[in-house]
Amino acid sequence: MRTTETLYLLQLRNSKGSAKMVPDSHPSEELEETSPEYLEHSIWPFLIAMAVGAAMVGLFLLVKGVVYPAALLLMLSFGAVLGGFLYSDTRHWRSAVSKSLGKVETGGVLGPFPVDINLTVQLIILTEILLFGGAFAMYFAIRVQFPSWPPAGAPILDETIAKVQTLILISSSILVEWAIWQLKRGNQQRFRIGMVGTTILASLFPILQFGFEWPHLIFDKILTPASGFFGATFFLLTGIHGAHVVAGVIAYLYTDSRAFMGQYSPKNYGFAEATSTYWHFVHIIWLLLFALLWQGSRIIG
Amino acid sequence: MAREQNHRLKLEDFGPFVIFTALYAAGTLGLPEIHLFAYQVKVGEIPSAFVAMFGYPAVFGLTLGQFIANLGVEASPVAMLSPVVSFIGLVVIYRLRKASVLAGCVAYIILTSAWLTYLLPITEGVSTTAAASSAFLGQTIAVLIGYGGYVIASRIRASLGATAEGQQTTQ
Repeated sequence: MRTTETLYLLQLRNSKGSAKMVPDSHPSEELEETSPEYLEHSIWPFLIAMAVGAAMVGLFLLVKGVVYPAALLLMLSFGAVLGGFLYSDTRHWRSAVSKSLGKVETGGVLGPFPVDINLTVQLIILTEILLFGGAFAMYFAIRVQFPSWPPAGAPILDETIAKVQTLILISSSILVEWAIWQLKRGNQQRFRIGMVGTTILASLFPILQFGFEWPHLIFDKILTPASGFFGATFFLLTGIHGAHVVAGVIAYLYTDSRAFMGQYSPKNYGFAEATSTYWHFVHIIWLLLFALLWQGSRIIG
Repeated sequence: MAREQNHRLKLEDFGPFVIFTALYAAGTLGLPEIHLFAYQVKVGEIPSAFVAMFGYPAVFGLTLGQFIANLGVEASPVAMLSPVVSFIGLVVIYRLRKASVLAGCVAYIILTSAWLTYLLPITEGVSTTAAASSAFLGQTIAVLIGYGGYVIASRIRASLGATAEGQQTTQ
């Protein structure tokens, strides 16, 4: 996914340094006129695909305990390729932004986003529904095999941290909606405050999960991934969700950085709204997890 | 943050939808239970009146929230039909919003209480009389608290709108 900054940089290159604001025209027209090489002739998609394959092979070898050095090397190769891609993609952002974009004029549009952000978000949400749908199907398929749930010997989980996490997610969802509402009214300062507040709240969630709850469960031997079906499903589901929360925090950090560069306006807030939509989805998944793993785990059938 | 009263849902409605889902589900599961005879007063029922302000995102959100909340409690399969009844009641509140939100809330209370009167003897084993009285009382308390909040929010919203109009006139 290319951002407006990168697109603008390419236009800068093609126009040999003549800095002009990108007109509000159709994205595909811009791409065709200014950077035909934009979507083609890039080695990175191929390299990333190969690196993902290598990482998967490496992970398999690692899990199976076969040839540790080779496994680690394969997995590190993925990191190297990813790092190279991120570097090549972002190295000009700062100069491009500072030289050309600056702050968006009131009522102005920063520039065409190369793809339909709404469609992108809808596709992401669709893939996430498939992922979590599969995970919940697994949970129910295992659960119906037992006469009672949680199975005999499984602990009753303490809800305190889970309740705090739920409160955090509700607060962050309300705050980000408020922030975007303020942006639509043209109040940049309140928008930034709201976004930073949301990011802080969002970052508390993985801190509580990976810094407190998981260590408490694992190291105090209350529940581990090897504790049987309940432990395995618990850590798998909360782990997948936690990874998505971390991704959401990263997306918020990026959104915040763009907010402080003045790249959003009452007419240009698509990326911020896309981030919030993703976050809301993560939130709704958490509600299901909370109901099934904590509340539902108290039910002895 | 109130949305346009438009039936067509958009991506920006996803936020209010999830927030209302969370308010119902977390309000019911996360907060301490308030028992009134056989019936639990659901804190999640309180935002029902706000359907008149936020429209269908709130209707769908509260319905899904009730479904999620029911997943987390021990209840018979017939209890999983409760969200359907609530959905109908919430649509009634929304449809009556221009005539009277209070009338919509009363209709919602009657509809959901009638359902609970049927449901509670099955799930809790209480008598029909006890079920009817506790359900009606519990729903009335929860929904009317929410209605009070709705009235306050409407007035704040109206005053904010008047302030904004005043500022535009001055400029």
